[in-house]
Amino acid sequence: MKKRVFTFLVGGKAGEGVKKAGSVAAHLFASMGRQVFQMDDYQSLIRGGHNFSVISTSTGEITSHYMKANLVVALDARSYRLHQDHLVENGIMVFNSDEVEGGEGLGLPLKKEAEKYPRPELRVGVGAIAALVETLGFEKSRMHEVIKEEYPRDIENNIAYADKIYGLAKPKLGGKFSLRAGDGKLPILSGNEAIGLGAVAGGLDVYLGYPMTPSSPLLHFLAARAEDFGLTVVHPESEIAVANMAIGAAAAGARAMVGTSGGGFALMDEAFSLAGMTEIPLLCVLGSRPGPATGVPTYTEQGDLFFALNKGHGEFPRIVASPGSVKEAYYLAAEMLSLVWRFQTPGVLLTEKHLAESKMTVDFNVDEAHWSEPKIHAKGEYRRYLDTEDGISPLLFPPSKEIIKWNSYEHDEAGITTERAEIIAQMHDKRQRKSEAIRGHLKDLKTVNEYGENGVLILTYGSTTMSVLEALRAGGIEARVVQPIFLDPLPTWELERHIGRAPVVVEQSRAGQFANLLREKVGFEPRAVIKRYDGRPFDPVELAAQIKGVI
Amino acid sequence: MTDEFSTYAEKTWCPGCGNFGIFNAFKKAIGQLGELGIGRQRIFITAGIGQHAKMFDYANVSGFYSLHGRSMATAQGVKLANPELVVLDFVGDGDAMGEGLEHLLFAAKRNADITVVMHNNGIYALTTGQRSPLSERGYKGPSTPRGSEEEPFNPITLLMEAGATFVARSYSGNIDHLAQMMVQAVLHEGFSFIDVLQVCVTFNDKYDLYNQSVEVLNALPESYDQAVALARQKDKLPIGVFYQVQKPAHHKALYGEWNPISQRLSRTQRAKKVKKLLYSP
Repeated sequence: MKKRVFTFLVGGKAGEGVKKAGSVAAHLFASMGRQVFQMDDYQSLIRGGHNFSVISTSTGEITSHYMKANLVVALDARSYRLHQDHLVENGIMVFNSDEVEGGEGLGLPLKKEAEKYPRPELRVGVGAIAALVETLGFEKSRMHEVIKEEYPRDIENNIAYADKIYGLAKPKLGGKFSLRAGDGKLPILSGNEAIGLGAVAGGLDVYLGYPMTPSSPLLHFLAARAEDFGLTVVHPESEIAVANMAIGAAAAGARAMVGTSGGGFALMDEAFSLAGMTEIPLLCVLGSRPGPATGVPTYTEQGDLFFALNKGHGEFPRIVASPGSVKEAYYLAAEMLSLVWRFQTPGVLLTEKHLAESKMTVDFNVDEAHWSEPKIHAKGEYRRYLDTEDGISPLLFPPSKEIIKWNSYEHDEAGITTERAEIIAQMHDKRQRKSEAIRGHLKDLKTVNEYGENGVLILTYGSTTMSVLEALRAGGIEARVVQPIFLDPLPTWELERHIGRAPVVVEQSRAGQFANLLREKVGFEPRAVIKRYDGRPFDPVELAAQIKGVI
Repeated sequence: MTDEFSTYAEKTWCPGCGNFGIFNAFKKAIGQLGELGIGRQRIFITAGIGQHAKMFDYANVSGFYSLHGRSMATAQGVKLANPELVVLDFVGDGDAMGEGLEHLLFAAKRNADITVVMHNNGIYALTTGQRSPLSERGYKGPSTPRGSEEEPFNPITLLMEAGATFVARSYSGNIDHLAQMMVQAVLHEGFSFIDVLQVCVTFNDKYDLYNQSVEVLNALPESYDQAVALARQKDKLPIGVFYQVQKPAHHKALYGEWNPISQRLSRTQRAKKVKKLLYSP
């Protein structure tokens, strides 16, 4: 019987090509027209330790990895030990017989065979692919194509090594899990990549970032393609410089974006407030990981929701939104860029390691990325902070004969510093009217995703949305899932339609920040709050059981 | 006094403040730059927070009034986004050498094509006279009532070591010299730094000392070492260009002759490139 989902898990030490093997497997499944979800679990180190990559695939929609795999390839002894329980019924464990004595499953001399070639530590990942290809029942020639494309360095030795492993695996694995082809060949993207592409499509000119997991890959992705995309990408001395340089770039008229995680975002606090006061459009990507402080750098959590909502001293409008899928991350990045420019205020694209670094097949329309032209001063005397009905003053950029003054102090309409009581109040009112304008504008946009018709009401947001949707599929649960995309302003006008029903809230926060937000802003009284806060994303099967336990 | 380079803002510097000299030198420099073909519309100023920063309110040119210590980062962002602009960053010694030191050193290190004019009065004036990173050991201020226990930085040698490609010193009491330094600094492609000896009549009045010790350097020092020796000299305070060298400016090293704003890609071009990345093998 063909199961809906097939899962492949490969584990080993950092430096053994685990992530690469995972990514090759994901592309192999995608090339069969199947949908894919890949989650990489890695530690904050470069060599040693334990990494694993888990890829679940289906011919239909799939929005999470599953922790129980059909095929596990353990490249070292620790992986064998740690993933013994991660097998579905009839699942197969392939392990490195050079490191594990005895062992249940199929032992292959992955290391000994690799040592016949230079740099054996880089070779074992290819062995994992050979085992997978064998299990799927592909011909050797297909494997050779994959190796040529994915492991182009030292192709001949890679092929010789893979052939050997393939041959050794054949008697026990050969065609054990042949998978159906799907019906569409889709590209695979990580959340970070989708954010980068969405921002580029939406008009991004300048990206600044200081390395910090899980947002560093966004910096790397854009830096590698800067020339092609006409982008200016800089890694300066600190997140403080990042945010302030971005503000300067925006003052010159460039669409600027910055990316970081909690600690770096903390360093941007002062600049975030500066953007609020100067009315600078600034988009910050906040990729959350478990905190406080350095926390657990390469894992996931939703503990920064209130941090994003309360960022920056003083009172000023802001926009905070969080994508519920990699596809949504593309659209939302463009839309957020467009919104911060329309309303000339800072915004946060809040995401988590689980979305930022996980990869999935995506099907979106590139041309549908938002694009908007901000309000530009037409002619005559210019005042940067012209007091208008909706609080939005026209923009103008240098070089210009008109004088353009952006000011971090409270200022008059021309941008000159003031301490006059009536102007202080007037400017507060002007900025407040922008908050109202944002709210009004969002009422015409899609601010909430809803899935399903009947059954229990489940409220969730961000990457946890993907876990919830997959859990419903895994557990055959009927539910109505409501996911606010925008968190500030929170689309209460949409959420209020569900008031009176006691929802189940699912989130990755110990304090239950999202549930608290829903209580405070909408008046929901959840019947249960399902939380996970050990750094790991939810497993759909486990989450399904938890949901069943509370409904 | 109102003129085309002054706004309507009321000047609140103390009578006799060195900032007046710096402001007048800047206005003079704008005029001279105009004659050289660099019009006021291309000039963009940034400022930190402190007495120096009131330049922003008083000067009738476009700009960004930044945060304490951060204006060097703001200025670099402006220049990166549109290299056509001429960016002058007015900073205080507390502002740039205290809270903003990392941005100052890195701007020099990467040879960002901006001109940093440091109003060096040796104290924090706006916050009532506390010691600055450039105050002499023993300076008594409200935060160091028994005298500062730290040695000051030497801004000239520090910036030379950090990689600045134009390093000069001038004096708020010599407006013509200062205007000339500003013009030279702007014309220099790369990171320019001017340490402006500035008197603070209220908290750190060094008029007599400066008037006695300041002397104009008539030529660029012959070597790096000679520049360092001159900068460390205390009996006489030379003013002029200490060091100048040609190196690629940061924005050019980054993207050559590109202009991120005037050459930004259209919506269609962007979509095409995204599609290519997604759908071509």
